[in-house]
Amino acid sequence: MIRIDHLTKTFGKFTAAADISLSLARGESLALWGSNGAGKTTIIRCVLGLLSFQGTIRVGGRDVARDGKRARSLIGYVPQELAFYDDLRVWEAITLFARLKNVARVDLDATLDHVGIPDQGGKRIRELSGGMKQRLALAIALLGDPPLLVLDEVTASLDVCGRAELVALLGRLSGQGRSLLFASHRADEVTSLAQRVLMLDKGKATAEVPVSQFVARLGAGSVLHLHMPEPSRPIAIELLRGHGFAPTLNGVGILVPVPATQKAVPLRLLAEARLSVDDFELLSPRDASLSQENHA
Amino acid sequence: MSAATLPSSDVIPAHAPGMISNILTLAWRELRDALRARSFLLYSLAFLALGLGVSYVSAAGTGSLGLSGFGRTTAGLINIVLLVVPLMALTTGASAIAGDRERGMLLFLLAQPVSRLEVVLGKFLGLSGALIACITLGLGACSLVLAWQGGATEPRTMLWLASLSVLLALSMLSVGMLVSALARKASVAVGTGVFLWLALVFVTDLGIMAGTLALRLPVRSLFFLTLSNPLQAFKMWALHSIDASIDVLGPAGLYAMDTYHDTLPWMFGTSLAAWIVLPLVAAALIFRTRSPV
Amino acid sequence: MNANRPIFAPLALACIVGACIGPAIAPALGQEAMRPPAELRDAVRDSSGVEINAGTIGQLINAAQPGDVVRVPAGVYREHIRIDKPLSLIADGRAVIDGMSSGDIVEITASNVTFRGFIVRDTGIDLDKENAAIRVLADHAVIENNTLEDILFGIDLKQAPDAVVRGNLIGGKNLDIARRGDGLRLWRSDRVLIENNTIHDGRDAILWYSQNVTVRNNTSRRCRYGFHLMYSDDVVMENNELTHNSVGIYLMYSKVVTIRGNRLLSNRGPSGYGIGLKETDQFTINDNLIAANRAGIYLDGSPFTKLKPGDISRNTIACNDVGLTFLPSVKGNVIAANNFVDNIEQVCVSGRGELTGNDFAAADRGNFWTDYAGYDANADGIGDFAHESVTLFENLLDREPKLRLLLFSPAQQAIEFVGRAIPAIRPEPKFFDPAPLTKPVPLATSAGVAPSRLSLAVCGLGLASIASLVYVSSRAFAHTTRRKGVVA
Repeated sequence: MIRIDHLTKTFGKFTAAADISLSLARGESLALWGSNGAGKTTIIRCVLGLLSFQGTIRVGGRDVARDGKRARSLIGYVPQELAFYDDLRVWEAITLFARLKNVARVDLDATLDHVGIPDQGGKRIRELSGGMKQRLALAIALLGDPPLLVLDEVTASLDVCGRAELVALLGRLSGQGRSLLFASHRADEVTSLAQRVLMLDKGKATAEVPVSQFVARLGAGSVLHLHMPEPSRPIAIELLRGHGFAPTLNGVGILVPVPATQKAVPLRLLAEARLSVDDFELLSPRDASLSQENHA
Repeated sequence: MSAATLPSSDVIPAHAPGMISNILTLAWRELRDALRARSFLLYSLAFLALGLGVSYVSAAGTGSLGLSGFGRTTAGLINIVLLVVPLMALTTGASAIAGDRERGMLLFLLAQPVSRLEVVLGKFLGLSGALIACITLGLGACSLVLAWQGGATEPRTMLWLASLSVLLALSMLSVGMLVSALARKASVAVGTGVFLWLALVFVTDLGIMAGTLALRLPVRSLFFLTLSNPLQAFKMWALHSIDASIDVLGPAGLYAMDTYHDTLPWMFGTSLAAWIVLPLVAAALIFRTRSPV
Repeated sequence: MNANRPIFAPLALACIVGACIGPAIAPALGQEAMRPPAELRDAVRDSSGVEINAGTIGQLINAAQPGDVVRVPAGVYREHIRIDKPLSLIADGRAVIDGMSSGDIVEITASNVTFRGFIVRDTGIDLDKENAAIRVLADHAVIENNTLEDILFGIDLKQAPDAVVRGNLIGGKNLDIARRGDGLRLWRSDRVLIENNTIHDGRDAILWYSQNVTVRNNTSRRCRYGFHLMYSDDVVMENNELTHNSVGIYLMYSKVVTIRGNRLLSNRGPSGYGIGLKETDQFTINDNLIAANRAGIYLDGSPFTKLKPGDISRNTIACNDVGLTFLPSVKGNVIAANNFVDNIEQVCVSGRGELTGNDFAAADRGNFWTDYAGYDANADGIGDFAHESVTLFENLLDREPKLRLLLFSPAQQAIEFVGRAIPAIRPEPKFFDPAPLTKPVPLATSAGVAPSRLSLAVCGLGLASIASLVYVSSRAFAHTTRRKGVVA
């Protein structure tokens, strides 16, 4: 479905994606996993033919750089946040994209039901909540039943509830012979939607693993929650990143996914750097993501 | 390792819509948006008000002597068109692409099965429709006022004026879209559009005047310099369409009449056509390589 | 001496050219005119070699006694005729005299001839021989109600005083203007009455050295000079309509001329004067409508003496490129009670100069100016401030006429605005009307038919309907899709 060979994308001196290769078979689902700035969005934009790049990307056998329009007709794309002419009414937007996707007939009610926003056809896009907008974006992506869905951090701007519902919806949709390429920095999303995971760090692919190994890499379900004074948190994150961890900030400290055999390594590194840790606890990834939302 | 040997590289049949269909769809959205935009409403009202003012005043001036029919109204309307239409078209064009880019809409649009050329042409077509609506509404209302005031103008004149105003609007829209394709920010694009308007309406003409006085430009150079300004090409063509002559424009006008005779309308047309096509082509080429974010 | 040059130069040139090429082309002309049988060697031939009075009408003339009324029945007569005795030659029905593209057609050599009601067509095209439809060489001729078509010169009066030229329709040949002849020409023919004629597509209607001529109710269009006076004094021109000529009326070296109640419209040749005056004296220009010409009135060295001020009053000068053009040295005109309406430039001094020697008011009444910006508080019809023309752009135009190319541009208004805002660069006023009128002087002649209001209204509705069509289509596009495809 997708084949990326030696994709390199630079913005001036900054390398956003360095020599990435991957392939995705029909019906398969692949997560691009990494922290912000790891290159997930860049790869997705290259797949959509939105950016110029070095290397080749084929979608459904079609070269994205040369035959982008046809390649994109195989893709349903959901962005991080739907930014579209928000003066349009929902049914107008559906009509517009149905035409652009060469869909002759659209059942508006069924389309909106399918993504869980029934009876919203007459509203203007700007009147929709964030979650509804994402569902509308999904409905638009599904127009014409494309064989490939490309999702870029689709839950990033949603609250806990909305996120859980959307992930559940995507889970239902992914099991229907569709390929799925999605970017996420959330372990729970990755584990519930992906079959394989491409782990990215600073534009480089660090590993490509089945989802089972991904969980193992994350520490068999362990996330170290470090309580630290606020001023030292950014320094700590920088330090831990430098040693191959993927720490994230939450309200009272830092969450660090840790491999099973290295649970104490972050503590040691911080101690060596004379950064004081007040307290710590070990969480499962699910607890960890919940704790992050509660503080967000 | 050829791509064909890999299962993932099998060519999957794709059925993207045709170019014309896409352009029409995009044009429809652009038109719908433009007709609802507040700025467009303001321009239309300004054009309408100025046009009606000119019609009313000029009809009252010559009309009271029974002297209608000598085309002074048309000169006034040409003046209004020269002032309002380029500003409207330039700013509309300038915000067309840059605004979408800034608000991230372009990203979502280009992620759909559309080509960038289709986006440019669709926008151009849609905005042209909006400009045409504005111009025909304004000049149509002027015609009605003139008819009511005593028919100071030939219908043929108003039709010519409307058609040529549309061509002028298209050329300025095209320039505006080039600005828009180049600019990073919508505000910069619109600012540049306004600056270009000032340049085309005032600065180049004043420059030509200064040049003529200071350098003693020969009529030929003066004529061609003036012809290269789309606003002046419009003006000369409009006068030519009314009188079949631009001798009202003095020695340079007479020179043009004597030298080029019947090819003059073609020359005006060529100038305007070049101003429509070339910036649009440039805009399309630049838009093809620019990142949508 | 200087004044004589304009006539003698062309005459001399014509003689020289004639002398040189005359013999060379004579055989060719002779061959062309072989139609009459060769044995009639003693027959009278005209300058083109065609035998005169050899046809039906000629025989009627030959047979007639002086004083007879000769009636010519309807028919087409291919002949050249000479009326050499006092006769009335009158067409009975549609009588056509066809000149067969050669020479003159009708020549009148006797006094007191009346020539009425004919269609005279197809003269030669020899400019040197001045091929004319009707040439009059004697006094007291009456040329009336004839139609002259496809002719080089129309009616040519040569030393033919006391003639009446009335009700003729004179149309030129379809030739380049340089190869056309004059529709009407008077040469040393005094006391002639020219009325109700229509002249079109010719060169000039011209009066040479002819005194006491009256020109009234004539129409001229698409000629070079509508009427042209050379050294012709005591001429009255009234109620003529001169449109779409190169120049309407051009007076040169003439005096005591009255131009009254004429309509001079759209005369737009390279100079394009409605009325042009060169070294003309004791003239009166009243009650004319002068509109849409390149220059309404052009004054060069007129009045020529101080005998009488030039009288330019009660004219409506409207929508011309320039209303009134003066050469710098012109003085001694009184310009009062005229309407200056929407001329692109109301008054122009060609080159640089002042108009201080001319008065723009008489008896404390000036002119009506559409660009007068003052007001009339005491409602006496006279503006409370003098009218001065100070526009920077016009000033530029007078200095550099080429800049007219930029007329009607917003840049023009910008310059005017700057000129008004900054006194330092404000030009000197060109002229000064101490008592501008606030209401127009009533028009002496009607302005013509305005275009139909109905068709303009229909045009307006048509244009507006395009706008609504665009609007409706913007809505319909989505709605049709909805009906066809989207089940809401």
